[in-house]
Amino acid sequence: MMRKIISGNEAVALGVKLARVGVTGIYPITPQTTIIEKLAEMKAKGEIDTEIVRVESEHSAMAATFGAALAGVRAFTATASQGLLYMHEMIWWVAGSRVPVVMVVGTRAVGAPWNIWNEHTDFTSERDSGWIMAFASNPQEALDLTIQAFRISEDERVFLPMMIGMDGFILSHTKTNVLIPDQDQIDGFLPPRRQPYVIDPEDPLGMGNVFPPEGYMRLRESIDSSLRNSEDVIREIGREYSKKINPLGDYSTLNVSYKLDDADYAVVAMGAWAGDAMEAIDVLREKGIRIGLLRIRYLRPWSEKEIREALKDKKGVLVLDRSTSFGRYGGPLYVEIKSTVSDIIPSIKGVVSGLGGVTVTKNDLVYLFNKFVEGMREDVIWYYPKEVGKVELRTPRDIE
Amino acid sequence: MSLGLRGILNKHNAILSGTSACPGCPENMAMRMLGMGLGKDVVLVVVAGCSSIIQGNAPYNAYNFPTVNVAFAAGPATASGLARAYKQRGKNVTVVVWAGDGGTADIGFASLSGAAERNENILYLCVDNEAYMNSGGQRSGSTPFGAITSTTPEGKKENKKNLPFLMIAHNVPYVATASVGYPHDYIEKLKRAKQIDGFKYLHVLTPDPYGWLFDPSKTVEVAKLAVQTCYWPLFEYINGKLEISSESLHCLDKRTRRPIRDFLSIQGRFKKLSEEQIKVLEQYVDSMWEKLKSML
Repeated sequence: MMRKIISGNEAVALGVKLARVGVTGIYPITPQTTIIEKLAEMKAKGEIDTEIVRVESEHSAMAATFGAALAGVRAFTATASQGLLYMHEMIWWVAGSRVPVVMVVGTRAVGAPWNIWNEHTDFTSERDSGWIMAFASNPQEALDLTIQAFRISEDERVFLPMMIGMDGFILSHTKTNVLIPDQDQIDGFLPPRRQPYVIDPEDPLGMGNVFPPEGYMRLRESIDSSLRNSEDVIREIGREYSKKINPLGDYSTLNVSYKLDDADYAVVAMGAWAGDAMEAIDVLREKGIRIGLLRIRYLRPWSEKEIREALKDKKGVLVLDRSTSFGRYGGPLYVEIKSTVSDIIPSIKGVVSGLGGVTVTKNDLVYLFNKFVEGMREDVIWYYPKEVGKVELRTPRDIE
Repeated sequence: MSLGLRGILNKHNAILSGTSACPGCPENMAMRMLGMGLGKDVVLVVVAGCSSIIQGNAPYNAYNFPTVNVAFAAGPATASGLARAYKQRGKNVTVVVWAGDGGTADIGFASLSGAAERNENILYLCVDNEAYMNSGGQRSGSTPFGAITSTTPEGKKENKKNLPFLMIAHNVPYVATASVGYPHDYIEKLKRAKQIDGFKYLHVLTPDPYGWLFDPSKTVEVAKLAVQTCYWPLFEYINGKLEISSESLHCLDKRTRRPIRDFLSIQGRFKKLSEEQIKVLEQYVDSMWEKLKSML
C-alpha cells in the first residue's frame, strides 16, 4: 500500500493494472482519454500484460471488449459523452449476453451543441440497459470501485457488466491523494476470472441467436432479478474490500450518508458535488439547521431499502440532479427518489444544475439548501449560479 | 458428394441438419464448404443477416462451430477482441467473421477497415448476395447497376462497390474472391487463408434465388455463369501479389469472355435492362478486368 498524488483517470488506470485485465479496447474521447493513454504507456514500458486493441470507434471499443470477455479474459474499456452514446447498441448487447465486463465513464455533456464539460446525462441515460452502475465521488473511490467492479461483475450471483461513472475533469483531471493497494493485496481479493459462457472451440456454444418471445422475456427477467440480487453481493464484496484493502473507505453500503441520522432535512446527490454539499451542510448545521446528505453511489441496482431507511422521518428532501430527463418534471434522480419515498416524505423538491460544466460552488449550495429549508415554492427549479442570457429560438419561417 | 471433393475436404461438418435456410440457399452451401476448408478450431462471429436466421432459434443452433451473434456493425471488432483474448490465453483458434454484403459494404465498413488496418489475426468472410436479402431484398452498396430491388424498383442507378479492391488497398496479407459455383477453388482458398497470420479477406458470391429471381434449383448454375461471363472474377492476392484463379483466366482476353447477357438473362432482377444499360454493365466488367490486369 502506498500513497500518491494522482488524477482520477490515473487512479482508474492503476485499478485496471491491479485487476490484471487481459484485453482493453481503447478509443480516445475527452475527458476519459488519459485513462487509455496511461494504459498504453504502461504497456509500452512493459508494466502490464494487457492486449490493447486500438480500435477505430467507441462502437468497436465495446465490441472488442465484448469479444475478449466472451473468449474468457478480463476486459475493460472507458468512454464518455458522444462515445457512450455511440456504444449504446453494444452496451445493450453485452448486458443481454450476461457477460462480465467493466467500463469507466468520464461523464460529460452530450451535444448538440458541442460542450466538453461535466454533467451526468450521458451516464444516467444508460440506466435501463442492464448494467450495474456505480458513481464515484473522488479519485480514491474511482480506483476502489474499478477493482470491486471486476469482482462484482464476475460473481456467479450477478454475471452482469458494470460501469463506473466519474465526473469529467472534476475527478478525471484533478489530482488528489490516493491510497494505492499492492498487487499482492488485490491478487488475494480478486480471484481468477469466472463467467457463465466461454466461447471455446472445445465446447461449441451459440450466443445471441434468435430467441423465441417467451425465452427472450425470461432472459430479460433474469437480468432484472440478478441486478436486484446484486445489492447483497455489492455489500458483501464492499465489506471485504474495506477490511482487506482500504480500511479508510466504507463500502459496506451501496449509498453513503453524512450527518443524516439526526437530520430534519435531507439532500440527495450523486458524484463529486456531494463533497461541496457536505461542506454546505456544515455551514447550515452551524446555524442550527439539522440537515444531512444521502449520496447515491449505486444508480443500479437502486437500493429501495437503504434509501427508504436513510430518508425516513425527514420533513423534506432536496434532490440535486446534474442530468436531465426532458419532458419530465425533474431530473432522473428526482424521479427515482420521488417514486421511492413519496409516501413517507411530505415535501420532495428538485434542483437541476451543473449541466454542461456550470460551476456550482459550496456557496451556491448553501443558498439552495437555505431556500429549500425556508420553503421552496416550486417543486423543481433549474438553477444558474450566475445571471445568464436566455437562449431563444429564432422566429419560425415558412419553408417550401 | 459427387464433386470429387472427398480427397481434399476436412471431415468437419460445419452445418447440421435442420437449418432455417430457404431452398437453394447459397449461404448454406458456403457455410458447409467453410467446414470443409477450415476444419475444427474455428470460432464464428455472425453479424445480422440471413446467417443469423439460418442457424435456427435458440436453444438450437445448426452451426457446428462456437458462434457469437453480434449487432450489424460489430463483427470485425468483436472478432478482434476474441482473437486477442485467444492470443492472451495461448490458444490457436481461427476467428471467422461471417457477414453479408450489407454488413460488409455498408454498415460494418468502418469496423472492417479498422480491423484490416490493424492487421488483426482474423478471417473475414463476406457472403455477397448483392442486396439486403434478410429484410426483403433492399439495395446495398454491393448491388450491381440495373438490378431491381425492393428499394430500387426502377433498377439501381450506381455500380457495385468493389470490396475486394478496397481490401487490397488496405495492404492486408490475403484477399481473395470465390463463388459457391466452384467449391474446389473456394475450399482451397479457405485452406490457404488459414495458414496465413494477420488479416484475411475472402469475398464469396452467393446468388440468391429469391432476390435475384431465378429458380432455386439453379443456384450453382448462376454462380458458375457469374464467373464464366467474367462478371465475378476469381483471384487471390497474397502478400502484394495478384494471381487470377484458373476458372477466370479466360477473362484476361476480352474475346474469350462469355457474353454477360447469359448471366443477366437467367435472372429476373435484370429483366428491364435496355441495350444501353447492358453496355454500362459491360463497361463495368471491362474496367474491372483492366484494373486487375494492371495489377498482375
